[in-house]
Amino acid sequence: MTVMKYSRIKTYINVLMTYFALASIGSVFAHHPIYGKFDPDESIQINGIVTKVDWRSPHIHVFVNVASGSDVVNWAVEMENPYILLANNWDDTSLQPGDAIAVSGIRARNGSRQLWGEDVRLADTGRAVYTVGDTEPQKPLAARPVPRWPDGTPALGAEPGSTGGVWSYPTSKALVEDGVDLAMDDYGQLANIADASKVAPMQDWALARYVHRQERFLQDDPMYLDCKPPGGPRQYQSDLGFQLIEDRKSARIFVLLGSGNRNYRIIYLDDRDQVGRVTGDDDNPLFYGRSVGAWEGDTLVVNTTGFNEGFWFTNGGLPHTNLLSMVEKFTRVSQDTMQYEVTINDPGAYTRPWTASWELSWVGGQELPYSLCQHNRQ
Amino acid sequence: MFQRICSVLLKGASLVAVSYFFSAATNAQEGHPLKGSWIGEWSGNSDLGEFVLVVMDWDGSAVSGMINPGTDNMGIENVDLNPEDWSVTIESGGYTIEAVIENLELPSRALVGTWRGPGGEGNFEIVRQ
Repeated sequence: MTVMKYSRIKTYINVLMTYFALASIGSVFAHHPIYGKFDPDESIQINGIVTKVDWRSPHIHVFVNVASGSDVVNWAVEMENPYILLANNWDDTSLQPGDAIAVSGIRARNGSRQLWGEDVRLADTGRAVYTVGDTEPQKPLAARPVPRWPDGTPALGAEPGSTGGVWSYPTSKALVEDGVDLAMDDYGQLANIADASKVAPMQDWALARYVHRQERFLQDDPMYLDCKPPGGPRQYQSDLGFQLIEDRKSARIFVLLGSGNRNYRIIYLDDRDQVGRVTGDDDNPLFYGRSVGAWEGDTLVVNTTGFNEGFWFTNGGLPHTNLLSMVEKFTRVSQDTMQYEVTINDPGAYTRPWTASWELSWVGGQELPYSLCQHNRQ
Repeated sequence: MFQRICSVLLKGASLVAVSYFFSAATNAQEGHPLKGSWIGEWSGNSDLGEFVLVVMDWDGSAVSGMINPGTDNMGIENVDLNPEDWSVTIESGGYTIEAVIENLELPSRALVGTWRGPGGEGNFEIVRQ
């Protein structure tokens, strides 16, 4: 009896040891840019029986038993993020153990029995499952007027007196200098790495580092590896959106982020200096920098300095240094559209200041998703 | 038996501690790859000892820094970084270090190569902290 108790204790402890060890390193393997793991040039099709749906961030996995000669082998089909699938009306019961499915996708680079599922269909009906469509709300044919506060200042969030709503669906998912036309995916992965030097006016070392990250298919992105915040313009290039909460009494705007680790940034409108405060943000430099803003007509102009170098400030891996400062311009041109412009001035990484801009869409009544990068692989 | 349980607990605690050590050690530095504090060895240095600490910074146009601050206080006179192969040459106090950045995208990247100078010559390896 005593021996059994000890054995049981030892088993529990070993399980705990394994759990803590895996939990501490698990995020290292979590990643969103899929081409670091899957090879887009290696198409593959499998047919089999679903054994389990593992519904967790950052990507779900559908496990499938596939006949292989006289044997049966198990494959893992990796697919989109649960939040995105939920937004497309799918859940963890959309496929059930025992369902026969046909999967087309791209195979893992390491040759293991894993694929990224691009097309998953029920074998008997041919019905596609876990499809992801464009859920961007339709804009009205005639632009609705900009909501304003009683003093006439544009409201950056919900119409005064109402609540809810997020900015999302950025028309650009990665920083590229305005006027440059090149192909890249939503993760900022260039279709042609030879285009790298066109993306922004980088110094030699910065260009080499950017190319290196691109050649590694963005697998080193610290936002996915280590939950580092999406500082800089990156916070406005996520489909998970953001909210601008105006605290007019305290002369500040809270930027609440739906991406990364779901934290916030403050833009001060009280003419303060951009210096650390002992009782506040004296830790420096910062992931979000120090932001001060002022209205110029209907445009909110925000100047930010004091960044650290512990994060990627855009999808795709453009480097920055602690010399980075940026000027952002937020112009709500209608109720449903925000124009965003950012001028990057980083003499540590770039040869001159440069500007990128894009638009965002208003999704009225919606709240930010509860999506935390800390959930990845937990 | 108490000792055995303690032993197992200790092993578990050690594993957790090691895991957290490594995750704490992964403080990213995503800017200029030479910036930061580096610790390692220049093997066989009869003048300054084998332990070496290098601190480097980047001002947008040049790398500056110091070798063994607090003891030898050797200012770095020149640093050349070739981004094509990530080779680096560091000159300081009559010493020349020729090395290559390894594991560029890891926070704990390394500079590995050779050194020569008043204390002789030998292998050089420092790891960013």
